Amino acid sequence: MRIPRGWAFLLLGLPAAFLLAFFVVPFGVLFLDSLRTKEGLWTLEHYAKALGEIYYWETLLLTFKLSLYVTLATFLIGYPVAYYVVRNVSSRLVRSLLYIVVVTPLFTSNIVRAFGWMVLLGRRGLVNEVLQATGVTDQPIPMLYGQSSIVIGLTYIMAPFMVLTVASVLQNIDRSLDDAARDLGAGAWSTFWHVTFPLSHPGVIAGALIVFTLSVSAYVTPSILSGGRQNVTSMLIFQQYGAILNFQFGAALAVVLLVTTLILVGAFVLTLDRDRRAA
Amino acid sequence: MGPGERAGRLVLAGFVVVAVIYFLLPLAVIVGTSFTTTAYLRFPPEGFTLAWYGKFLGDSSYLQSIGLSAALATSATVSAVILGVPAALVLARGEVPAARTIAALFLSPLILPPIVIGVALLQFASAAGIARTFAALYFGHVVLIIPYVVRTTIASLARFDRGLEEAARDLGASGPATFFLVTLPLIKPGIIAGALFAFIISWINVEISLFNTTASLMPIPVKLFNYIQYNVDPMIAAVSATTIYVAVIVVVLLDRVVGIERAATNRT
Repeated sequence: MRIPRGWAFLLLGLPAAFLLAFFVVPFGVLFLDSLRTKEGLWTLEHYAKALGEIYYWETLLLTFKLSLYVTLATFLIGYPVAYYVVRNVSSRLVRSLLYIVVVTPLFTSNIVRAFGWMVLLGRRGLVNEVLQATGVTDQPIPMLYGQSSIVIGLTYIMAPFMVLTVASVLQNIDRSLDDAARDLGAGAWSTFWHVTFPLSHPGVIAGALIVFTLSVSAYVTPSILSGGRQNVTSMLIFQQYGAILNFQFGAALAVVLLVTTLILVGAFVLTLDRDRRAA
Repeated sequence: MGPGERAGRLVLAGFVVVAVIYFLLPLAVIVGTSFTTTAYLRFPPEGFTLAWYGKFLGDSSYLQSIGLSAALATSATVSAVILGVPAALVLARGEVPAARTIAALFLSPLILPPIVIGVALLQFASAAGIARTFAALYFGHVVLIIPYVVRTTIASLARFDRGLEEAARDLGASGPATFFLVTLPLIKPGIIAGALFAFIISWINVEISLFNTTASLMPIPVKLFNYIQYNVDPMIAAVSATTIYVAVIVVVLLDRVVGIERAATNRT
């Protein structure tokens, strides 16, 4: 179906204009504001502070560190689940139920999911109750506020993304390749490791990228589960806007977060492309 | 299947059972604790009561929040469909230069930090004089959810046999007639799936709403977020549980329309 030029321009142009007006332009406003003082004079002082002061670097590095843990955890949890759903389940009903289990958390607000972990990990929460009942410990372990609870919470938020991305790619892998490997004498694990897993790399990479970037920029979950003891960069941004009311500096922090994320993603994608071209 | 492989499959199945519990447990805990008769959060709950649900349903500020979230999600979803479906159509069917870049633009809100979008929106809305109004929330949410509609619609159009469109044209149908009588009915499930995704993503969003709310203009997730930082009690569990019920309803609807497997793996 060929769409006449005029129509194409209108049908695509209007939505694109909308996005430009309410998505691209706001970023532009943000970026410009980060270069201004409160009075409106041009300055680089906010970037000097954001990139110069050790506190902000440390927070950014912590944010990346935690996000790496989350990415690893979601991979370890998500890949086996995705593989099982796509490859080992023959009943369509069971597959649907498993997808429903994975998607339902995705459709709940991350504040609700973080709240669930608060209840689970609290001093009188389920985990502590089980630990005490089974005699592993006689005092409730404070596990709620700190880096580990942030990682636990974010992993829960991000795991469905990893499962769905990997499942999508695994579905596309031609099963006859597996059969061929088996016919040639390879065992189940060998087939997986040498055939299926390498072919699923793009899905793993895509999933890891999604999880990593979303984790780095996550605000709600770390905010609730850190109990004020740890800060990630997004929390600092919020403080600037919500409490300290230094919009300009907050904007600079936001731009730094955005740019470093884009750089990491870009670098990762580039090394991937190079590997693929070399191979 | 050798014994080693059988053992391996069993281990994997066991792992998946644990994973299923993992996915459901935080939600189950909230739902369970919303029925407790104790005045503090307790899981497993003691007793059974609907009093907490009654409490928040009798509170007009909560009802107002729910109403706002619903109005926001509905209006944003309708707009996302009106804008996103034509865009997807042109991107998938038309010969547009730089189609991939433009498609990336439409999909980019998915991966950019929501808090940065929220902050940018606040600064923009302040400059435009509409800060902290429904309009600001509306524009932000449309931007947030358009990618979901575009993505499922493009996937639908890609799976589609173009020969059907060509056949209609050969038989004399005009462009618009072909679209409305052939293409649209076939991609309707994909559009509806995209709309369902869009609706629920708007419904649950915190970060974009967070920066443009006031005491009287507060979507329910923001209200929850503010409350939970200071105070947790079974009433807030009841509010949270209600949002979980909404999620389940949307998931079931999605399964009805397109099949959850296809929706989840973007084969709409």
